[in-house]
Amino acid sequence: MAERQQDNAARRVMLASIREQLAASAHFDAVRDEHHLQARVIEETAHIAAVAEPTTGSLVERFQQALEAVSGHFIAASNENDAAQAIQRIIGQMNAQRIAISDSPLVRRIFKQVESDALVLENAGPEALFDCDVGITGAQWALAETGTLVLESEHERHRLSSLVPMIHIAIVESGRIRQKLGEVLQTLAQEGQEGLSRTVTFITGPSRTSDIELTLAIGVHGPGELYVIVLSGGNVG
Amino acid sequence: MNHLSAETFDANARTALADTQLRGALRNLASTIGERRKVALTTVDDWEGLRERARAIKDETLAHLDKYLEAFADNAERAGAQIHWAHDAGEACAIVLRLLRERNATHVVKSKSMATEEIHLNTALEAEGLTPVETDLGEWIIQLAKETPSHIVVPAIHKSKRQIAELFAEKLGIEPTDDVAVLTGAARRILRQRFAEAQVGISGVNFGVAETGTILILENEGNVRLTTSLPKTHIAVMGIEKVIPRFTDLDVFLKLLPRSGTGQSLTAYQSLITGTKRRPEDEGPEEVHIILMDNGRTRMLGHPVTRQSLACIRCGACLNACPVYQQIGGHAYGSVYPGPIGAVITPQLIGLAKTAQLPYASSLCGACREVCPVKIDIPQLLLHLRAEVVEGTANGTAQKLPVKRKIVERLAFRLYAFAWSSPRLYEWGTRIARVLQRPAVSDGRIGKVSTLVAKVMPPLGAWTAWRDARPIAPLSFRELWREQDPRDNRNVATGMMED
Repeated sequence: MAERQQDNAARRVMLASIREQLAASAHFDAVRDEHHLQARVIEETAHIAAVAEPTTGSLVERFQQALEAVSGHFIAASNENDAAQAIQRIIGQMNAQRIAISDSPLVRRIFKQVESDALVLENAGPEALFDCDVGITGAQWALAETGTLVLESEHERHRLSSLVPMIHIAIVESGRIRQKLGEVLQTLAQEGQEGLSRTVTFITGPSRTSDIELTLAIGVHGPGELYVIVLSGGNVG
Repeated sequence: MNHLSAETFDANARTALADTQLRGALRNLASTIGERRKVALTTVDDWEGLRERARAIKDETLAHLDKYLEAFADNAERAGAQIHWAHDAGEACAIVLRLLRERNATHVVKSKSMATEEIHLNTALEAEGLTPVETDLGEWIIQLAKETPSHIVVPAIHKSKRQIAELFAEKLGIEPTDDVAVLTGAARRILRQRFAEAQVGISGVNFGVAETGTILILENEGNVRLTTSLPKTHIAVMGIEKVIPRFTDLDVFLKLLPRSGTGQSLTAYQSLITGTKRRPEDEGPEEVHIILMDNGRTRMLGHPVTRQSLACIRCGACLNACPVYQQIGGHAYGSVYPGPIGAVITPQLIGLAKTAQLPYASSLCGACREVCPVKIDIPQLLLHLRAEVVEGTANGTAQKLPVKRKIVERLAFRLYAFAWSSPRLYEWGTRIARVLQRPAVSDGRIGKVSTLVAKVMPPLGAWTAWRDARPIAPLSFRELWREQDPRDNRNVATGMMED
């Protein structure tokens, strides 16, 4: 309780200090504002955000290009069975022993069709996840302009299964691809704070670093391989 | 090259200039990230429009910072985060320490954060027997080497892979190797154990959204996601200038920051965290604490020129573009924030008394202003701070030039102004100078002048110590003009212009 009061007092002091400084600046601001009208700039540049523009190729093709440009692997699947076979191929090639899958209904449905001897963990906790080779999740959105996946915690437990294993396989319905980041941000914002997922994660390619002599190294803390299976004929969101 | 003081900037810079390994690394930085940035800029339609908009959003926020900060705090609390208000570095560190103590934390992981560097959080916690493990690869290297970051985006840019391999061999017992992938793999393996055992994760914040109370953190490695997902408690340290009004404003900043910082269209990961998890069985920490830190920032609000410093989104583009930083690197600045933005932020954060050389660590070429994604007029700020140095008015931390130098400078400029105020005086002055310079001119240039001359005219001495000076021409334009036959004057004029 004492700390609560302390925080409240500190809050009052800081806000008072901000108001005092802004008041002191009012005179200088008036002079400057004669030359620069901020409000106008905000209005005039509003078009920059969140407007889809005509571009060449389909959304899926543009997503593929952007994903591959950041070393992600693109897989097209025309139905859930195709997707299951793609997953089976990857875990076979990688000789995966332990696989973590998220609680996404789509992922679970597809994974039921995968034949594998690997140990499969649903809803794995952190300790178990550290030993997994592959994590499989869905994605609520994908962005064609940057090859990005958007995962929302309200829809899927994605935080660790998409991060801890060395291989991340994500399944996204083609109808969930948008051209621009701004479109998805607007959709998320429309839900208001109540509807907004407590954690939204944007994923663009595998984990990477250039901290040593600016040399690119893949898979430093997160996955070293990212496979995105785009399922066509999915629900159009 | 570490733990240098800003007070000895001149000497630091000279030492750095002699470090060929460092200068090679800096050349690589400027060309590699500079090129990547240029390419990344071509992938947006209207870069200028984006910069304008970003700056307008920042200006709007800062002009009503009290309102947006309150909205941010209220909305974050509504979503379950706990907000703490820290007036200065000491308070911020004390809050972190108290939170760790209350939770009996023994193992703490940390992701890269300039705000925590600014308050020297690690030093404060180490003094109390707690050592947070840095998990960003570059920061971890720096921590193992007991050094400080030399760049705000690539902190270990000053180290070669050979040095890093030697460091890993010494500290971690890893076979020295030239293979960056092997070094990176070792980091992954060792840091995974640290993540697994950590009770608390400490991070910074890139943007705080007032509308929703969301914090957004950008990264490439995945260590931020691990730091903010695995431990039971997440503490985020956030400068109060990180607030932006609306959720959709993120669009603009997510286009600008990665392109400016690393030349990427988007970094590998963005974590948007709004409060705590909704249900106990959900993933993520049980508690999220956000420390809102002033530490000298409100002071910058008091004038539109200084206020623009708070628009900075810490992309590092001005460092990469700066001809001074490119030669001397980050450590020479002797402060947490190096480069052009450091030269303007540091004196405002800690006062000019100990940082009076920093506003002069620039040729005012304006490259920083050109690349700044939020259009901060850094040269204007540098001049503003230089004026404060000279007038000794900087926040009561008067920096006094030696009185003698002050008088001499004033006299010299008076004389200069006087001589230039009359064409005749100017002409005579030039003629006298032409005679006086004669002993110093050889091969049509002025080389290193004698110590005596350097003493009488310090600027000429300083200039010619490193490069030739151009002597005054044998005939001035006016003299040439007068000597010519009036009919030829047109040719002379065009000839001069072609020169």
